[in-house]
Amino acid sequence: MSLLESAVQFVFIALSVASVYLLVALGLSIVFGSLQFINMAHGALYLIGAYVGLLVGYEIEFGGLLASYGLSPLGIELGFLAALVVTPVVVFGLGVVMERLLADPLYDRSLLDQLLVTFGILLIFQEGFNLVFGRTGFNYPRPGWASGPVLIPGVGAVSRWRAYVVFLTLVFLGIIIAFYKYTDYGLAVRAGTEDTEMTELLGIRIGRPFLLIFAIGASYAGLAGILGGSLFGVNAGMGFANIIPALVIVIMGGVGSIKGTTVGALLAGFVFATVTQLWPSMATASIYALAIVILTVRPSGIYPTGEIGQ
Amino acid sequence: MSTETTDANAEGSSYLSWQTWDRIKHTEWFILLATVVFVSVFPWVFTSAPFVPSELLGYNSLVRRILIWGIFALGFNLLLGQTGMLSFGHAMFFGGAAYATSLFANHVVADPFLAVVVGVLFAVLVAAVTAFPLLRLHTVYFSIVTLAIAQMLFYLAREPLGDLTGGINGLGVDRNALFGVVDLNEPLTGIAGVLWMDYMYLFIAAFFVAVVAFITRVRKSPYGLILKAIRENGTRASFVGLNVWRYKYAAFVLSGFVAGIAGGLMPMETMFTGVNRLHWTTSGDVVMMTVLGGLGTIVGPILGVSVFVYFEGVVNGLDQIGGYWLLTLALAFTAVVWKYPDGIWGMVTNASERLRSQRGDR
Repeated sequence: MSLLESAVQFVFIALSVASVYLLVALGLSIVFGSLQFINMAHGALYLIGAYVGLLVGYEIEFGGLLASYGLSPLGIELGFLAALVVTPVVVFGLGVVMERLLADPLYDRSLLDQLLVTFGILLIFQEGFNLVFGRTGFNYPRPGWASGPVLIPGVGAVSRWRAYVVFLTLVFLGIIIAFYKYTDYGLAVRAGTEDTEMTELLGIRIGRPFLLIFAIGASYAGLAGILGGSLFGVNAGMGFANIIPALVIVIMGGVGSIKGTTVGALLAGFVFATVTQLWPSMATASIYALAIVILTVRPSGIYPTGEIGQ
Repeated sequence: MSTETTDANAEGSSYLSWQTWDRIKHTEWFILLATVVFVSVFPWVFTSAPFVPSELLGYNSLVRRILIWGIFALGFNLLLGQTGMLSFGHAMFFGGAAYATSLFANHVVADPFLAVVVGVLFAVLVAAVTAFPLLRLHTVYFSIVTLAIAQMLFYLAREPLGDLTGGINGLGVDRNALFGVVDLNEPLTGIAGVLWMDYMYLFIAAFFVAVVAFITRVRKSPYGLILKAIRENGTRASFVGLNVWRYKYAAFVLSGFVAGIAGGLMPMETMFTGVNRLHWTTSGDVVMMTVLGGLGTIVGPILGVSVFVYFEGVVNGLDQIGGYWLLTLALAFTAVVWKYPDGIWGMVTNASERLRSQRGDR
C-alpha cells in the first residue's frame, strides 16, 4: 500500500467520523445558538433515525416486546436508498412535533432545567427502544452500490461507503449554509439569533422560521442515524454515545456558529483518526482530551458567538 | 409566617406546638439525632419489617448500597442544590476514588479505613485540579465539560490503563479486618444483629452520620449561606465583594470530597471495582436520584437514592413489570424536573404544609 493511498484512506476515515458528528452537531448548535435551547433529546432523533431507516429499508428480526407480541420480523423492505430518502422526511416531522411539545414549553426555562428535562427524555427513548426492539445490536446490510472499495486512479482504493457519507454530508452542509444565507427564513433566523425581541417588534413572526430550523436540524440528525448506524452499528445506546461527543463538539466549536461546529467536528474527526493510527485504545478519549484542552485555552469555543449561558 | 403566639399558648402546652416543631426541626442537633435514628432502624425496616410481602424483603446489601449512594447524592447536592452548579461528570470522583481505594487495598494495605482515606484524597486531588479549567465555564458549558472529563477518564481506565484497572473485566478488591481488629464480614449478635446485620453496616453508617453532620455544618454556616447567595445570583454576590471563584472552587472540592467518600466505600462493600463506576450512567444516576428526591435538602437526596436503588434492586427482579424499572424512573425524573422541581420531598413538605394551613394551625 502506497503512502499516498494510506494517507487518502486516513483522510476518509477522519472525514467520515467527522461527518456523523457534524450532522448531529449542526442541528444541536443552531438550536442552542438561536433558540437558546440546549437539547439533549436531539440524540433521540439520531436514535430514531437509525431505527426508522432499518424499518423502512429492511425486514429485521427484532427482540423485545415486538418479538413477544409476534410482530418480528418487522419492516417494509424498500431497500437502503429508500431508507436514506424516507428517514429524514419522517424525522423532520418528528422534529416539528418535538419543537411544539417539548421545546416550546421549555424556551423560557433556565438552561439547566432544559438540560435535565431533555436528558430525561433521551433516557426514556433509550429505555423505550430497548424494551420495544430488544437489547441486542443490529447491522445495516448495505447493497452493492454502497459497499466495497472504490478505485481512484493513481491513488488506490478507498471505502466506497465512506466516500458517499462524506459526499452526502457536504451536500447537506451546503444546503443549510444556503438556507441561512440566501432565504428569507434564513435571514429571519439570523436576525432572531441576534435579537429575538427586536425582530418581533419589526413585525417578523419568528416562531415559524425557528420551527423550520429546528425540524431541519432534526432531519439531519435522522440522516446521521442511518450513516452512523451503518458505520458503527445500531443499538438503543447510540443516542447517548453520539450526543455526548456532539455536545462537546458544539461547545468546542462555538455555540450557534455553523463554521465553528464544522471546524470542531473536523478537528474531532482528524484527532480521532490520528490517535487511532498511533494509539488505538486512546481514540475515543482523545476527542474529550482535545475539547478540554481547547476549552481551557478558549472557554467560549473556537468561534465564540455572543454571551450564551453567561 | 406570623409569629403571633397567643393562639398557640391558649391551646396549652407550648412544647408540642407547631412553632416549637418548626424551630427544632432545623437545628443541627435534631438533624444529627434524626440521622442516628434513621441509620439505626432503617435496615430493619427495609429488610424484615412486617406487613410487607416477603418477596420484597431480605435485601441486606441494598441497605448498605443505599447509604453509600446517599453519601454520593449528598455530595452532588452540595454542588447543585447548594451552589447551583450542575455537574454531569460526578462519576469522576466516585470512580476515581473507587479505583484509588481498590489499588491501595490491593497493593499497599488492605485496611478498609486507610483505603477509603486514600480514595477520598485522590477524589479531592481530581477535584482540585479539574476545577481550574471547569470554573471558567458557565452553566451548561460547565455541565458538559465535566461530562467530557469524566468520559475521558472512563475511556482511559477502560483501555490504556487496562493493566492497572483491569479494563472492562474490573478489579477484585482485598479487604482485611478494620485496623487488624474487627472483621467487617462478622455478623453482629443479639438485638444489634437483628437491627444492623454486620459490622460492615456499622462502618458505612458511621461515615454516613459523619457526612450528614459535616454537610449540615456547611449548610448552617455563613460559608454555606454564601454558596446559596452565589446560586441565586453570582454576579450580585461578586458585587457585594465576595470572591465568587474561590467559593465555587471550595464547593467543587467539598463536593468531590464527599463523593469520594462514597466512591471509596463502594469497593469496600462490593469488593469489586468495575469501569462502570466512571461511566456517564453513574453521573446520570446521581443526577436523577438527587433531583427526583428533592434538591437542596438533606432528606431529598436520601429519599431519591432509596427510591432509585429500590427500583434497581428489587423492582427490577419482579416478573412482568421488572423490565420497566428504568423507564419508570426516567419518566418520573422527567416529570419532576419539568413540572415539580422540588422533587418528592418537596411534595411531602408541601402537602403537610397545606394540611396544616387547612386545619388553621400555623
